Amino acid sequence: MSSAVGKVFGFLLLLLATFLWIGQAVTALTGGEKAAASAVEISPEGGESIFWGKGRCFTCHSMGDRGSAVRGPNQGVFGENFPLPIGARAAERAKERSQKTGQTYTATDYLVESLAEPGAYVVEGYKNEMAIVYAPPIALNLKEVKAVIAYLQSQGGELDLESLEKPNEVSKKFFAKMAAAQAAGGGDPSAGEQVYASNCASCHVIKGKGGKIGPELSSVAGKGAKYIEDSILRPAKSITPGFETWTLTDKAGRKTIGLKTADTASEVEITKANGEKVRVAKADIKELDQDKDASVMPDNLNEAMTVKDLQDVLAYMMLQKSE
Amino acid sequence: MIGIRGCRRSLAPRAAAATLLCTVLGATAAWALEPNEYRQVLGLDSRKLIWFLAQVKLFFAAFVLGVPLFAVLIEYVGARTNDAKYDKLAHEFTSLLSVAYATTAALGGLFAFALYGLYPTFMGYMTGIFRDVMFLYALLFFAETFTLYLYYYGWHWLSSREPFSRNVQWIFKVLGIAALVLTVVFFLGGFGPQMRGDTRAFMALLYFLPVAAGLLIIRDRKGVHIFIGILLNVAGTAIMQIANSWAGFMMSPVGVDKEGALTGTVWQAFENVLATPVAVHRMLGNMAFGGLVVGAYAAVKFIGAKTDEQKAHYDWMGYVSNLVAISALIPLPFAGYYLGREVYSVSAVMGNNMMGGDFSWTFIIQAVLVGSLFILSNYYLWTGMTRIPGAERYYGYIKYILGALIVSFAIWLTPHNLPLTGAEVGQMGGGQYHPTLKFMGLMPAKNAVINLIILSTFFSFLLYRRGNKLDAVAISTQGWMARGVIVLAGAAAVYLAGQYAVNLFLMKPAELDLPADRAPYFRVIAWLLLSHCAASIIAVLLALKDRGKLAQNLLMAVTAFNVVLFLGVYGFVVMEKASPFLRNVAVSQFLQIIACLIVVTAIDVFLFRGAREIGRLQWGKIPVRSQYALLALTFVITMNMGLMGFIRSGLRGDWHIFGVMRDTSPWSYTPSNFTMTQMVSLSVLVFMVSIAFMFWLGGIVEKGNAVKDEAGARAPAAMGAGD
Repeated sequence: MSSAVGKVFGFLLLLLATFLWIGQAVTALTGGEKAAASAVEISPEGGESIFWGKGRCFTCHSMGDRGSAVRGPNQGVFGENFPLPIGARAAERAKERSQKTGQTYTATDYLVESLAEPGAYVVEGYKNEMAIVYAPPIALNLKEVKAVIAYLQSQGGELDLESLEKPNEVSKKFFAKMAAAQAAGGGDPSAGEQVYASNCASCHVIKGKGGKIGPELSSVAGKGAKYIEDSILRPAKSITPGFETWTLTDKAGRKTIGLKTADTASEVEITKANGEKVRVAKADIKELDQDKDASVMPDNLNEAMTVKDLQDVLAYMMLQKSE
Repeated sequence: MIGIRGCRRSLAPRAAAATLLCTVLGATAAWALEPNEYRQVLGLDSRKLIWFLAQVKLFFAAFVLGVPLFAVLIEYVGARTNDAKYDKLAHEFTSLLSVAYATTAALGGLFAFALYGLYPTFMGYMTGIFRDVMFLYALLFFAETFTLYLYYYGWHWLSSREPFSRNVQWIFKVLGIAALVLTVVFFLGGFGPQMRGDTRAFMALLYFLPVAAGLLIIRDRKGVHIFIGILLNVAGTAIMQIANSWAGFMMSPVGVDKEGALTGTVWQAFENVLATPVAVHRMLGNMAFGGLVVGAYAAVKFIGAKTDEQKAHYDWMGYVSNLVAISALIPLPFAGYYLGREVYSVSAVMGNNMMGGDFSWTFIIQAVLVGSLFILSNYYLWTGMTRIPGAERYYGYIKYILGALIVSFAIWLTPHNLPLTGAEVGQMGGGQYHPTLKFMGLMPAKNAVINLIILSTFFSFLLYRRGNKLDAVAISTQGWMARGVIVLAGAAAVYLAGQYAVNLFLMKPAELDLPADRAPYFRVIAWLLLSHCAASIIAVLLALKDRGKLAQNLLMAVTAFNVVLFLGVYGFVVMEKASPFLRNVAVSQFLQIIACLIVVTAIDVFLFRGAREIGRLQWGKIPVRSQYALLALTFVITMNMGLMGFIRSGLRGDWHIFGVMRDTSPWSYTPSNFTMTQMVSLSVLVFMVSIAFMFWLGGIVEKGNAVKDEAGARAPAAMGAGD
């Protein structure tokens, strides 16, 4: 038996040696581990290091013959579909974008929009699935985003660093969006808008749209990300004046809980969380109490949201600034 | 919160583990808000130390959890057929388990100490979130320990087949029916917390249903023993599910805010998106791994066997182990696909990193390992045919299967772009892609050949099964059971392919962000699926009309054409014109393959049931090189487990908890593939040496018992002679 064990372990060592050789050969071909990238300048070289490193752009995009990813459009010259590199292609796409939106887009605007709102104008034949690069886990800062744009500009287009330092109105809007998202700890405002529509819009108003059970949120960004996060996760912690919860008990013992939306000489109106309005004559009211520890807003929103949902909706909230 | 003193008293027998548990249970989730603290021991790289300990612990845990799954099944087969050799085999499997169990627990303790010692902030946070579940985890270890020892040491005590009284049997039947009703109600969402469909199905099928089935089969002491075995598996599976939920939480945190504070419930955190997909994948992986480790044990014993009897026994043991492993290996890619899809649903960044980023070349290495597994499995089956009288009739097919496997393997591991030197690029005309090979590196080609590999392996298995059978048996003579099973298999196949065809007919291109004019590409695949449904129905009808072989040939031919030839080519068209739809094409391929396997297997079981044989299988009459194939299978699957663990864990990138807690340690980067192979090789070597030592120890105990039994048997005989 001992000779059998010896043979078997010899065989195991042979297989492990082969495995190690494969690992060594693959690493020699493809490169070893990469240390975390250091700070970069807004330049094509800085952008290149981010494109092929921290930004993880290479996992979806190739650049001509460099790289193997096919999930996103190739950013270089490649086959019939991509006769122009992205720098030159951006100028063409900007013209189409101008026609569609009625705004004047430059090549830089198109590239900035592609990173800020990748779903806005998806290349035909590709899915709207690009990651939000300024949100976790990639979480590029604005300087890094600008460096990537400089790198893309340099691919057959006009390198225009000034348009990144002093953006025009179109790009400024997109940079503001990215800055707001970063202020909220990273998150995708576009995805956050969807989360908001599903969970919040029935009670809150933004820019004239939505329900009126909760406070208007058109300029909520001014209150800061921490306040907004607390309001979502622990709504009773800080209730906006005018939106306190009232409990009305009529003389028949029926209880109605909600906002006090009208209080006239003859009657009181309570609006319940589901939007139903209940009017009770003052003569029929037995008790009317304000509950300081409760909010009409559901306290279980965290159950409907993942961490990402919360980050996304916070990013969307941080965009809601007074005009 | 339980005080340390109280906790120490209640868990006195496991003082060290209890102290650790009590210390960490004092932690709170607030730790997430503090800067991460990292420590080192003996100047070692903490991440590598944790990596090594986690991997070796997982190898042992997979073995300890995988073996009871099929030990109980084999014991049940022995009880049903009254064949003592199955019972003996199940007992032998369990004896291997009992010696590995204590080591697994000790390694678990070491691993936990290392985690809490080296990553105190991170583990403090995890404990703050999961402290309630950690209590349950510890209690489940008691359940597993007691059931394992009762199962192993009670084997002979609970072996009687004398039926219990009718009343006792009725009590178990009633309990079983009640448990079955509970299973159905739970599965349909009648009780239990709100949960995902996959979690509910996992718990219903692996906890409730086995307990119900176990109660229903209790008629005698043997039934009770099998039931204890089922409880052992339930405890083990629950332990695995809990540990997986922690790993899943690190990848897809739920129930906490962006700073990590718990805002939801522990259940939400526990039942995160990836918890169940990882558990399903690991469950199948454990079964395959457990089977192959036992197979390796049998192979070593076979190589060192002195007598024909020993050779026959260990040959048979190796064959059964391999069969168990292959049964789990075939659905494993589907579980992997499901896990991958859920990874994408959590984060496209994580998904892309997996398939196209840091791990794209790791997957090439994985392709080498998986391809090797299939080729070795086939080789083992082919050499196994030498012990089957009459199997030589099928030797001619082997070269074609081998050809298909080698070509498929070569395509399977071809990378899309080749890392080339400047000179090599020049020789290829300046392009990064080889003019022909570039197509072999794309998904349509890879999807086609992996399915051809599965079909070829299945074909080898069919040849093996019919090796010594003279003629097929008419299905019409096999009673309603045979017809019923074949019809049910056909219905399952039609459902699998048909429901997806309907989905594709109804799917709007806009759902994939494609223009409306791409709908015809969806319909082509839908019609192809319907053609597969038609082939399944025709195959079932042919089988019922006693044309079983024709039915099998027809369905396999249609499947091979649809999945390998047609979709292998059409996939490139889809990739060019409607790239996002390519993953749906892959799903349609998997569904047709699985539908084919179900119907053809169902027909095959009855086609050769009771068929005349040329001769009996000659266990032990197999070349020794077959045992090296079995060993290589074990070593390769172990390496593959290590590699997959590296990918799963590495997907988080520089996050301890994805999107919530960053890894700010000096080791916050993705190691190279060479580092991976070094770490995995070390872990595999240590595991193999340790398990061999344990099997040797187990062998000493078995020998001691055998000598005692022999002496015990001789003593009364001697007394009798004296009288």
